[in-house]
Amino acid sequence: MAKANLLQRKMHAWLERRIPGSREFTLNRNNIFIFPSRFGLLYLILCLALFILGTNYQNNLILILGYFLLSLFLVSLLASYLNFAGIRLQLGKVSHSFAGDVANLPIWILGPDNDRNRFGRLHFSWYGQQVRQSVELSNMTNPVGLELDSPERGILRPPRVTLCSYYPLGLFRCWTHLSFDCEVIVYPAPLPCNLPLISETAKGETEGPLSVEDGHDNFDSLTEYRPGQPLYHVAWKQVAKGQGMISKKFSSQARQSAWLKLLPQGSDRLEHQLSELCFMILELDSAGMTYGLELGGMRHQPDKGNEHLHRCLTALALYRMGS
Amino acid sequence: MPRLNPSAHNHAHLLLSLVLLVNAASLFEPLQLWILLLVLCAVIIRLSLFLNWQKHQLSVRTLNLLAVLSAIVLAYFGWQLGLLLGMLNLLVMASSLKLMLLASRRDYFQLISVQFFLIGTGLVFNQSIAFSMLYGLLTLLLLLSLAFHISPSSAWLQQSHRVGMLCLQALPIALLLFLVMPKLGPMWQMPTAKGTETGLSERVTPGDVAQLARSADLAFRATFDSIVPNTSQRYWRALTLEDFDGKSWQVHPYRQKLRERYRSAGLAFRPAIEGPSFDYQVIAEPTQQRWLFGLDIAISSDPQVWLSHDYQLVSRINLQSSLAYKVKSYFMAPLQEGIPELDNRLNLQVPAEGNPRTRELALQLRAEHVGDKAYLQAVKEVFTAGGFRYTLRPNPMPVDPVDQFLFEDKAGFCAHYASAAAYMLRLGGIPARMVTGYLGGEMRGDRYMSVYQYDAHAWVEWLSDQGWQRFDPTVLVSPLRLDYGLERAVAYEESFLLDTPLAGFRNIAWLNEFRLMLADMDYLWSRWVLGFSRENQQDMLKSLLGKLTPTRLALFGLALVLAIALLLGLYQLKHWLPDRSNPSAWYYKKALKLLAKQGLQRPSWQGPQDFNQEVAQRFPGKAARCFGQLTYHYMRMNYRPMSEQEQKASLSQLRRLVPQLKQALSEGGG
Repeated sequence: MAKANLLQRKMHAWLERRIPGSREFTLNRNNIFIFPSRFGLLYLILCLALFILGTNYQNNLILILGYFLLSLFLVSLLASYLNFAGIRLQLGKVSHSFAGDVANLPIWILGPDNDRNRFGRLHFSWYGQQVRQSVELSNMTNPVGLELDSPERGILRPPRVTLCSYYPLGLFRCWTHLSFDCEVIVYPAPLPCNLPLISETAKGETEGPLSVEDGHDNFDSLTEYRPGQPLYHVAWKQVAKGQGMISKKFSSQARQSAWLKLLPQGSDRLEHQLSELCFMILELDSAGMTYGLELGGMRHQPDKGNEHLHRCLTALALYRMGS
Repeated sequence: MPRLNPSAHNHAHLLLSLVLLVNAASLFEPLQLWILLLVLCAVIIRLSLFLNWQKHQLSVRTLNLLAVLSAIVLAYFGWQLGLLLGMLNLLVMASSLKLMLLASRRDYFQLISVQFFLIGTGLVFNQSIAFSMLYGLLTLLLLLSLAFHISPSSAWLQQSHRVGMLCLQALPIALLLFLVMPKLGPMWQMPTAKGTETGLSERVTPGDVAQLARSADLAFRATFDSIVPNTSQRYWRALTLEDFDGKSWQVHPYRQKLRERYRSAGLAFRPAIEGPSFDYQVIAEPTQQRWLFGLDIAISSDPQVWLSHDYQLVSRINLQSSLAYKVKSYFMAPLQEGIPELDNRLNLQVPAEGNPRTRELALQLRAEHVGDKAYLQAVKEVFTAGGFRYTLRPNPMPVDPVDQFLFEDKAGFCAHYASAAAYMLRLGGIPARMVTGYLGGEMRGDRYMSVYQYDAHAWVEWLSDQGWQRFDPTVLVSPLRLDYGLERAVAYEESFLLDTPLAGFRNIAWLNEFRLMLADMDYLWSRWVLGFSRENQQDMLKSLLGKLTPTRLALFGLALVLAIALLLGLYQLKHWLPDRSNPSAWYYKKALKLLAKQGLQRPSWQGPQDFNQEVAQRFPGKAARCFGQLTYHYMRMNYRPMSEQEQKASLSQLRRLVPQLKQALSEGGG
């Protein structure tokens, strides 16, 4: 067992040196491995059997068949390699994911410089695992989304991606192990709970005055149209009367802003709480409320919007992960 | 649980099924009918899955039951089939069951390999040009199936083009390997198919040969180096039959045993040879037997061929496929006794009873003629003066056949004459035996001779003081047989090749010409492809290398490996050469490379014009001017319709600008 681990570690180290991580790869002789596939080995045995059959029956036609299949083996070695070499792969924008869900790694397969057509199926798998996805090179849509299990919150560095192809006749397996440099931030899995903080806010955890903000709910007043405002806010009636571009101003119900706090409790409850906090943040965000987050010594001032949401969730994901 | 359909619109599976079907059909003769039906069922199942008429595969349990039943039936019938046919039937049965089961990739690849092997086995049974082409086609279809398996969504035409290219590339290498790889002798004895024997047999009842003479199949071909034997010398010996039981002649069991013993001890018979010889190569058609053909004292240097003490050429392996061997025939040398005592003893044996009238006649003749020569003459006179008739339609002679032939019917085929003559000689105390083989042969120009089954013949050899002498009683009755062949000899009764359809067309000149042309092609095929032997190979190497020393052979092997590597490299040459299909892009790339050397790389998202500005900032002066012009011409050529004149002008500009840029950059750098 220990020996196997050592071997694996050595293998990893060797791969690390041979194919260092990057966001973009061009397949070439530095990172391609090629070896007869299992069928290729069977095929070689077949060639040998034909040779023996032909020799023992002193039958030249069988010998020619055997030699022909053998030469085809040689020819397909190069064809296999040349089809695989030159493919360029680029990692797209990696999004976040929730624990227990799957992260999606978009990989763009780009034509090689000299625009030769590529054929055959390309199989994607994570290093040492089963094939996750297969695309056919002559007939595919970019990017190829590669799913990665993300069981725990924190930063997930995807393992090496193994790509392989059996083109043209399945006799050879061309493969490579690419390490795409990227980090997937895995948020805690949201755990449904009721939102006590809305009532709790009344007990002093609320902060700041009620404020009027732009929203979509209630008509407030008419203002001059400014470029960039949505067209459905334009007050077409007034425009039709020739009063110029006038847009309607709407307001949201002014909301209280909420503070979310991680209560100092036992570490066994920590993950549970983080999951609940994650749920609350998502709920508050979809309700359009303003919220702040206090995690240990770190405070995120109350705000709202997508950016704030991800800042908060990232904080949850990384909380106490560094140490 | 129903299994899903992996074959719906799967061209790989369709092609595989088709190949299995044709493969099995081409093996119609050696296969059992029920196995062919099983194959047909499997193909129909697969076809309906392909067309998605049938949505689910057969369940594994049903298939297992079917497999067990088939195995039992095959075990029951296969018992009598012999090893080769048994294995072949098993292989086809297993592939048809596998085809019904076919689901995983592994099944598919196994089945493909078995199909390739079946094609090889098919070539054991059929080696004509037509069959070889069929099997070549099947091989291509299998490869196409593999290509579809690997890249399923390509179109047929594209796929065939790619497979065709691969095959064209592989073919020269295959031929090189075939010509040069050392040809080995058989490593072990392979099983042969029992059953359908063609040609002569080791036991002759007069009348059998007449049956054989109705066949227009080819027996063998011979290519003579210099002298061609004239028609009266074309006595091709095949078998010596020394055991007579009153009706039939057969190879003497004792002789057979002795031959086995000598052969296993590796003791070949080396008769005294002298005088001129015919040098020729024989390409024997498959007979499933061991004996071969040769004229008179036939000596072969071929390791596959062995001469027994009764001057019979024997092959070391059964002729499952056609066999080519070289022979020297010393036609002037006498056939001395192989094993003197034994030859004498074996060839004087006569059955104790039967054929009383023949005995009486022999006794009488022997009493009248003292010397062996005189007695032989008297026997000859029995045939010449007896009013005998040569016929392809002899009456059946179940009881005392020699009596019935000599005294009642007086009509028979060669074996009747040979049998009666040899019997009478033995009764007269002269050792005699029947020899079967072929008499005649159709010369095609001065190139080669074809000997057909209807040339089958039987004659007598008797032992004189100078060794074995040939005596052909048939010729006494029908001299035409010797000089013009069977067709003329039986022309009077119009019985020649009566059973063979299309035989009548032999008389139509152009059709006959066509037949002979096909025969020519077949001959070339047999001689150069089927008959390419170890000797041919060595001759070829000798003519290439001179003397075959180990160093030369080793160097030659090395050269071969290099040649193959070179060929492989040559095929892919265009991938390693820069792409010059778009010359302006080629020059532009060259310029980009020069800039990259100076540390300025164009990112893939940057257009040529933007990049030009960047260059202008980094390398102001002459280099920027050069590159600016380069970019201008490159863009003009690629994005603006131009006349040929303008294109030429732009191209020459580009050609001029690249070295200028190089110079400017190096000056800037220095």
